[in-house]
Amino acid sequence: MEKKYWQSFENYKKIRKEQASGNEAAPEFSVEGLDESELKGKSSRRDFLKMMGFSVSAVALVSSCQMPVRKAIPLLNRPQELVPGVANYYASTFFDGNEYCSILVKTRESRPIKIEGNELSPISQRATTAKVQASVLNLYDDARLKGPLKGGNKTSWKTIDQEIAAKLNELKTSNKEVILMTSTLISPSTRKLIGDFANMYPALKWVQYDPVSMSAIRKANELNFGKALIPFYHFEHAEVMVGFNADFLGTWLMPTTFSKQFSKGRKIKDGQKTMSRLYQFETNMSLTGSNADYRYPIKPSEESAVLLKLYNVLAEKVGATTYPGSTVNTDVNQVAKDLLKAKGRSLVVSGTNDLNIQLIVNAINSLLGNYGKSIDLSRPVNLKQGLEKEMMAALSDIEAGKVGGMLFYNVNPAYDCVHVDRFVKAMEKVPLKVSFAETIDETAALCDYVCPDNNYLESWNDAEPVKDYFSITQPVIRPVFNTRQFQDNLLIWMNNGVSFADYLENYWKTTYFPKQKKYESFDKFWFTCKQEGVFQSETDPEKLTSFKGQNLKAEKPLKNGLELALYEKISMGNGKFANNPWLQELPDPVSTATWDNYICVPPLYADKEGLKQEDVLKINGKIELPVLIQPGQAEGTVGIAIGYGRTEAGKVGNGVGKNVYELINTVTGFKNLLGTSVKIEKTSKTYPLALTQTHHVMEGRPIVRETVLGSFIKNSASGNEEHEEFLKNENFSLYPEPKFDAFQWGLSIDLNSCTGCSNCLISCQAENNVAVVGKEQVKLGRIMHWIRVDRYYSEIAENPEVFHMPVMCQQCDNAPCENVCPVAATTHSDEGLNQMAYNRCIGTRYCMNNCPYKVRRFNWYEYVNNNSFDYNMNSELGKMVLNPDVTVRQRGVVEKCTFCVQRIQEKKLAAKSENRELRDGEIKTACQQSCPTDAIQFGNLLDKESRVSKSNETKRMYHLLESLHTLPSTSYLTKVRNKEA
Amino acid sequence: MYVTVKKLPVKGLTSFLFLFFILLSSISVHAQTAEAAKNFAECRACHTIGGGRLVGPDLKGVTEKHSEKWLVSFIRNSQEMVKSGDKEAVKIFNEYSKIPMPSHPALSDAQIKDILLYIKNGGKVAGAGQAKEKSNVKKTEATETVSAVEHNLNNQREGRNNLGITALIMGILMLLSLIDLIFTHYLKAKWVHYIIVLSGLWVVGEWSYDFATSLGRQQYYQPDQPIWFSHKVHAGQNQIDCEYCHFTAETSMHAGIPPASVCMNCHSQVKQGKRTGKKEIAKIYAAIRKNKPIKWVKVDNLPDFVYFNHEQHVKVGKLDCKECHGDVAQMDQIAQVNDLSMGWCLDCHRKHKVQFVNNKFYAQYKALHDKLKAGKIKDVTVKMVGGEDCQKCHY
Repeated sequence: MEKKYWQSFENYKKIRKEQASGNEAAPEFSVEGLDESELKGKSSRRDFLKMMGFSVSAVALVSSCQMPVRKAIPLLNRPQELVPGVANYYASTFFDGNEYCSILVKTRESRPIKIEGNELSPISQRATTAKVQASVLNLYDDARLKGPLKGGNKTSWKTIDQEIAAKLNELKTSNKEVILMTSTLISPSTRKLIGDFANMYPALKWVQYDPVSMSAIRKANELNFGKALIPFYHFEHAEVMVGFNADFLGTWLMPTTFSKQFSKGRKIKDGQKTMSRLYQFETNMSLTGSNADYRYPIKPSEESAVLLKLYNVLAEKVGATTYPGSTVNTDVNQVAKDLLKAKGRSLVVSGTNDLNIQLIVNAINSLLGNYGKSIDLSRPVNLKQGLEKEMMAALSDIEAGKVGGMLFYNVNPAYDCVHVDRFVKAMEKVPLKVSFAETIDETAALCDYVCPDNNYLESWNDAEPVKDYFSITQPVIRPVFNTRQFQDNLLIWMNNGVSFADYLENYWKTTYFPKQKKYESFDKFWFTCKQEGVFQSETDPEKLTSFKGQNLKAEKPLKNGLELALYEKISMGNGKFANNPWLQELPDPVSTATWDNYICVPPLYADKEGLKQEDVLKINGKIELPVLIQPGQAEGTVGIAIGYGRTEAGKVGNGVGKNVYELINTVTGFKNLLGTSVKIEKTSKTYPLALTQTHHVMEGRPIVRETVLGSFIKNSASGNEEHEEFLKNENFSLYPEPKFDAFQWGLSIDLNSCTGCSNCLISCQAENNVAVVGKEQVKLGRIMHWIRVDRYYSEIAENPEVFHMPVMCQQCDNAPCENVCPVAATTHSDEGLNQMAYNRCIGTRYCMNNCPYKVRRFNWYEYVNNNSFDYNMNSELGKMVLNPDVTVRQRGVVEKCTFCVQRIQEKKLAAKSENRELRDGEIKTACQQSCPTDAIQFGNLLDKESRVSKSNETKRMYHLLESLHTLPSTSYLTKVRNKEA
Repeated sequence: MYVTVKKLPVKGLTSFLFLFFILLSSISVHAQTAEAAKNFAECRACHTIGGGRLVGPDLKGVTEKHSEKWLVSFIRNSQEMVKSGDKEAVKIFNEYSKIPMPSHPALSDAQIKDILLYIKNGGKVAGAGQAKEKSNVKKTEATETVSAVEHNLNNQREGRNNLGITALIMGILMLLSLIDLIFTHYLKAKWVHYIIVLSGLWVVGEWSYDFATSLGRQQYYQPDQPIWFSHKVHAGQNQIDCEYCHFTAETSMHAGIPPASVCMNCHSQVKQGKRTGKKEIAKIYAAIRKNKPIKWVKVDNLPDFVYFNHEQHVKVGKLDCKECHGDVAQMDQIAQVNDLSMGWCLDCHRKHKVQFVNNKFYAQYKALHDKLKAGKIKDVTVKMVGGEDCQKCHY
């Protein structure tokens, strides 16, 4: 019998079944999207004539066409800093109410086209996240409001100002409460302004509201240290890191900062003997869990018991008080041993919003002496200030009819509040409802007045993410539409007469200028702040009382039933950016799914219940979602991502996935993503999921190479033996050996630093005008990303080891694609680049077939100006984000990673223009630029002193599928897991 | 579609007179202060030497009026002096309608002194005795003629049309001879038919090739512009440096169409042209008044998938604008002179020498330097440093 290969569990089972019944298995290639005639492989004579007639007339038409008249329209009066064709960079700050990042905005001809990290920021340290990278597209979102609305109809700002000011004054006299509900605000000047506003309207109550809360950490620290704060964590000072359901590399608190810190302990050189170690106890398979050296799947109800067990083991060894706990099977002895070895050099964190758990975490950290070392209480983090009780109080006030006015800024409780139904109903009782949303979101749809806010790239602002670390937001473009900044509205309604830009400058003049000694004049100080984007003031650190122990108790783990673990996806987060097609199409680094949320089901449970991938399940008899079998999901639990199921996001985000905010666990009074008990029932339906990778194994080929630290210490080449073997072999080639003069570009990727965060994907997409193709096309395997982050599982499916591997064009010197192109559209350059000339490509796709890395992408359709692909490239506004230095590809051509050749050319020209040699590190590819862990190095391989050459100077270096003798310019470094062998 | 080509009224004089004066003036700006003459080209936009007041003062005798030190700092940054309250500077600033003189931080002291010497000598090189002002007198007349360049352009364009007409006639002849050969047998000598058909095929083939290769190209494209702007007057007669208006040619990929504010540097004073009167210049004022930019028609177009960078060619490659754009100084209406095809680009990349020894960037090409030293190659062309690579222009 013929040998059968399989791609996924389902395939495997299907093939086995069919073999048993004697039927021939259906072919595996997809026939979706083909016409009936194409399936039959026949076309009639009439079809032939039609096609011929069309072709002839098309040729006639094209050849008779004249060239279009093109206009060159200069500015009337050119601002001095604007040179057409030259990019300007402005320092600014990204803050969406949840995540903070100091950024540089690249503008071309005055329009922002790319976000890069700000090197000068001590907090985000040139790192960004996928969301930050994609945020530039939000500026060009068609869903943005074009002007203020009253009762759903267009109105003028004048009417808005008169009517709202009148109503506010009316409420002032009638002594009714006005609630200003905002996201967490980290802008000191805005906080001051709200204070001023409240002085004028004393009935104003300010509520900060976070859809995903971290208030338990604040509460625990209040009990332990006397002040409700979130400390600044230093993962770089921790040799042993223990995470409990804290996805700190992906979504928890400050993933940019933490990724950077984490990577510092993971860089390893030949001969190095130590490396940091990460233990992760978690329910869902998170990005952090996939990077853990040891990962323990636990149920949400077990978390406190496991933590207390760990505490008790540690306390016994140190001689501190122990507390009675519940029994759990999870073995914590190894963690305890490691933690004790690294006292003061370790860190335990938990992402669970539960007071008991946070108290135990604090107690463990205190036991280990981590305070003052890896945990800095003196520089508290200002993110996540929302408190559930404030929100609940506001809700009951509204329900009681005490509230006369509601102002919503940067929040969307009608979508992400746990008690959505109560909230929406209560809103009917409020006479004045004003939203400052940029688009008509779920909450704005309920409001009488919508005063659209500027996008953050059009705004002035400041931020203090961590005490005494400031950064500035400055506008990089004039407001695209007739919008007004939230702060300006308050100032106008206060009759203040100054703009917020002046208010901000004044505030800095009086508050922060005196707190520094470097600059004597305020103008210089303010200019530097705007230019550098960041400022650090010199004030006394927070003074706190010493650790005060609390009584620790653990929940009793549930024996039966299914526990739900909600989580945030790297791409979608809390759902604010749902209308961003780049983020919707970003494959989840762990599940590789795009465009949906789904129920993550552990493999054993799926087997037991007979669940298949894409079967639709009903949760609590209400919400229907498809199944995704997720290796590593804790037994007895299921996981679902929040941030989906928006109804008023815009054309892209509406109706993608299901909203599961109502399933948040509120039993303890804290909004906890984990621990809701759910019932699921099977339905007869199925729902297709668009995964970018259905193949999880490497077919025995050493694609990802790994070793453990013990073996690495003995032999740096361990795990990479095949590379030595390859070097020993005589490699015979029919083609002449490639020779380069001056430059040979190369990329080195350290698999040990790479966390798989997928930031590079979006950065590349923004830089290289990569098209969004939509769910249907992703399903057909036609996603266009030039980089993909491959994910492989090894070991057992219940708790696998995970690999993340970014793969882009390897720029082979013996490129298999070049030899087969019939029109020489892909050739080799003098600088070692595998070039792709789109205008020459005729779309045979021979190159794609011959590429062993499968990194070439084919434009199956015209993705620009095509209503079938109604994303950013189908809108005049959305197209403004395109990089003018990169061709927008047309239908029928193949494209691929170019090593950001436009950046290479730009920097080479700069060097020529300045009459100097090109410096190493000057050219940064988009993926390298945005990498939060510095896993990617780019440079000249001929220069032995360059960073990329230095990075390759290790026995861990290998090339992907090197036995094929394709001589790639991209190299990988073996992953080293810090495990006992 | 093409905009119809507007022909200017031609006066009987040939361009030789004009060329003669150009030649004359070019001799005078030569020798040791050639650089000063080149630098002064920018000044010429606002100043004359003995030709009367333009936007700025007539510079004749300026070196006697002010000290050299004062002049050097004024030329470097006049606004700084005005702001610092220098009496003379403020006086001049007010006298000339408060139009600030652009600062020149890039010029060295020596360069400025060189320019001053050039001014002192009445706009000619020290020692060389040719009169320069004379040429100004005759120029006005000369510009109203069709220059050799324009004449040539017209010929080329007509030549193409003629080929089309010839091809059409030959086509008809071929058809007639074929009909006669097969049906009517009017001519008995069959070799006549064959010759007609063969030569017809030749001409039609030639025309087809010419037509097919010109598809998507716009050689000799000469559209009407919204303002009847003459490069012949500005770059030719007034000798304004190309980069005075197209000032980003050395710093950006685009040479740049000048903003209306640049026009106003001179046209705030020069309100009337000799040939178009006030009509055309008034359009600039109208644009500024209405706050609507002038919509120029782009002449030299490249397809969207081609990346071309002026900085690379003008600043680094030290190419003269003429090499691609033709002798613009002799054209009233700008026309595309070259076909801007890929073959044309590559021809130049194969032949043109790079600034291999002068530019330190190329020090990294060690193998080529060795070859050069060893005498294996004489020069380094663009091709040798990757000038034939697709991804130099297509990405």
